[in-house]
Amino acid sequence: MRLNPDHFWTYGEWLFQHNALRDGAILSVVLALLGFVIGYIVSVFKHGPSEGFLRVSQIIGQLFTVDLPKMSFRRIYAVAKLAVKESIRKKILVLIAIFIVAMMFAGWYLDPDADSPARLYIVFVLTATNYLVILLGLFISCFSIPADIKNRTIYTITTKPVRPLELFLGRVLGFTAIGTFVLATMGLLSYVFVVRGLDHDHQAASLDPTGRAGETSFDSRHRHTFTLNSEGRGTTNEAKGHRHIVTKVGDKVVVGGPIDDLTARIPIYAKGLSFTGRDGEKNEGYNVGYMSEYQKYIEGDSLSRAVWRFEGVDNSLFKDVILYDLTISAFRTYKGDIVTPVGGLIHFRSSDGRVKSEDEPFKVKEFQVDRRSVRTKLKGFIDDKPADLDFFKDIAADGSFEVVIRCQDRGQYLGMAAADIYLRPADLQFWWNFVKGYISIWLQMFIVICFGVMFSTFLSGPVAVIATVAALVLGFFGFFVDNLVNTTSKGGGPIESLIRLPTQMGSQIDMELGNETLQKAITFVDRGILLAVSQLKNAVPNFSQLDTANFVAYGYNLFGGLLARHLTIAFGYFVLTALVSYFFLKTREMAA
Amino acid sequence: MATSPDLENRPATYDNDPTKTIVETRNLGKVYRDFWGRKKVQALKSLDLEVRRGEIFGLLGPNGSGKSTTIKLMLGLLFPTQGRVFVFGKEATDVSKNERIGYLPEESYLYKFLNAEETLDFYGRLFDIPADVRRQRIENLIKMVKLEHARKRQLKEYSKGMTRRIGLAQALINEPEFLVLDEPTTGLDPLGTRDMKDLILRLRDEGKTILMCSHQLADVQDVCDRVAILHQGELKELGRVDSLLKIQDLTEIHASGLTDDAKRQIREIIEKTGGKVDRMDNPTTTMEDLFLEIVKESEQRPGRRGGRGGN
Repeated sequence: MRLNPDHFWTYGEWLFQHNALRDGAILSVVLALLGFVIGYIVSVFKHGPSEGFLRVSQIIGQLFTVDLPKMSFRRIYAVAKLAVKESIRKKILVLIAIFIVAMMFAGWYLDPDADSPARLYIVFVLTATNYLVILLGLFISCFSIPADIKNRTIYTITTKPVRPLELFLGRVLGFTAIGTFVLATMGLLSYVFVVRGLDHDHQAASLDPTGRAGETSFDSRHRHTFTLNSEGRGTTNEAKGHRHIVTKVGDKVVVGGPIDDLTARIPIYAKGLSFTGRDGEKNEGYNVGYMSEYQKYIEGDSLSRAVWRFEGVDNSLFKDVILYDLTISAFRTYKGDIVTPVGGLIHFRSSDGRVKSEDEPFKVKEFQVDRRSVRTKLKGFIDDKPADLDFFKDIAADGSFEVVIRCQDRGQYLGMAAADIYLRPADLQFWWNFVKGYISIWLQMFIVICFGVMFSTFLSGPVAVIATVAALVLGFFGFFVDNLVNTTSKGGGPIESLIRLPTQMGSQIDMELGNETLQKAITFVDRGILLAVSQLKNAVPNFSQLDTANFVAYGYNLFGGLLARHLTIAFGYFVLTALVSYFFLKTREMAA
Repeated sequence: MATSPDLENRPATYDNDPTKTIVETRNLGKVYRDFWGRKKVQALKSLDLEVRRGEIFGLLGPNGSGKSTTIKLMLGLLFPTQGRVFVFGKEATDVSKNERIGYLPEESYLYKFLNAEETLDFYGRLFDIPADVRRQRIENLIKMVKLEHARKRQLKEYSKGMTRRIGLAQALINEPEFLVLDEPTTGLDPLGTRDMKDLILRLRDEGKTILMCSHQLADVQDVCDRVAILHQGELKELGRVDSLLKIQDLTEIHASGLTDDAKRQIREIIEKTGGKVDRMDNPTTTMEDLFLEIVKESEQRPGRRGGRGGN
């Protein structure tokens, strides 16, 4: 999993510095104007220009003067309760049974030889739940109002003092309530499935003559080696993404349950990453080509350095040891000794560079997290003179310091991004991170329900499903649309592709229709269609961004700021869909 | 600044005497159009009528005459394409008017998975009725429509008659001032029909205003104070039931204790001068005869029929 810079933004930074509030406001104004113009045009056809304007204004005015102030929670609750009963009647809860059956058989298909079974299990349960719950939201929300209109039960509701927004809110809350129950049940089952599925025991199979090292038994398709300290305590090595605590009790060595597989690291990330080149001058880091755009590289055995700058690190977060994780990678320009990983050196220094710790060598652990630590009492240099240092008094006196890494091996490169080193003051309880992952799924379900109910206020059930699925597809695969629009795709847009397919015209050659004007017209229309789709994509939520399963699976705490952003986005779409639904319910003839 | 048409065109009768008119339609018309906006059918043409406080008003007409359209326009389920309709002096699209209206739709479009209590509780909540009041009303209404034995049964298990009764109960949950009953006696057995008619009269006596439409002409004749007869979207007749049913060019004589000879002599005397007559009045025909005659006449001569009923 790769963390991008935007993942670290705090809620305030996202809202103000990165203009989410401004963009949201602009989007709201544009959509409001667009809605008014479309509403007015439709109204002009029905009532003429002045009467049309009056009617549209009235509808907008009534929203603020009557329909919002006179909303009743009792009515909303009644509609919500009805939606819950309706969903139960539709045997929605069978979905839980399907989920249980899926989990019963999942154990057969999840690869027991995977490097990290925990990741596999977590991704499986989160993905399965995500898709099932989104489907649930889709179907319960899209068919309800159309069914009421078809059965004419809507007559008995709209002839009561029920306001359009109450109808929308009641439905959305009811379906969300039933979806929440299903999701919570699935979450609980998933948690038990993951925890029980990963639980296993080892015995100490062998102990070397010193009694300080040994091997565990081969269980769950792996074994560990372990070392013990003089007090008879230690841990195993990491295998399959976890370790065990090993304790010597008398002559017997006891191996505990797995640790570190279900974690939720709360990382403190650097505020910035800078590079120096092989000549010691600042640069952007080396680019080793398409292999990784995410990371930049430093060259081995040269003056090339990567420097992370940390700020505001509080000494109260750490006691004697500062834990930190490294996830950097290596790029080899020659094969060399393929068994030995590429090596590097790491040291910590004060912001002004006067105080620094001794270089500590390390070997790159590719594709896994290198869990490391540095003691707060350490040896180093003050103004290049050897000295005993206190990390928080000498290096990070004002809470800021730098971490410097260089590559030792000539001709090899080390790659890193801003998120590839982070401090670990503490870990969050895994279950709480798991819950946060489910909150993300809940938000996706909530948005789908809002869209489903919104579309169902003016479309029939099946068409509302198609419209919501279209929004979902645009939301999940928006990057594909961006690629289509922003890059010159081979094979052209939809019309050009439609010509190329039956005529078997390869995408590598230019389209030749023998009519330049026609070709230009096709390209122009294609461009228009793609731009329209692109704009449409911007109006639907980016579901792939809301998918946070990897945070949980890779053991990172799902940042509160990120979750708050997602909550804000969901709330924004809730308001948007509520307003659109209000407009359609207000102007729709229920008996037509 | 634009003035709200609601205020501008508020019916004069309502402003002057809010106790008088409950519903007023003005030049009300409805055209159904297809997806492309092409005219499909004109369901209602220039309807002008009033429903007055405390009366039972009947809407009559064959299928497709515009009865249901009129009711839907009054309830805001449809929007007029011409003219206006006011209920309690407010535009029919104003949701707040619904607080004072009870509506029994044609086929009791209720949620079949709810039981009687849940149904009434649901609709009670829609009227924002507090829990304790709601409970009391549910109790009373279930007793009134005689569904005590079936209060916990889902509506899908109900017979048609029971469904009508629970439909009526939901229409009364808010103790409405104005009741709209669409075919209230459909599906009821003769006894149920009698009960329904008695109930309608009782509600009227309690001061409620009732608008009903029905195909059961005898029922309309029994309970309605005034009727409007629609055909092909046009108002054909409007007036008091008793006036409408009078046959103006005939004289009916009720006499008693007369021999055949005496009867003959009376006829002779009446033909010439006069004599003792116990009772002399206009005989009435049945609502059914009137209705069929109007429909027949309308088909022969389209256009508004000359009224004869007093308003």
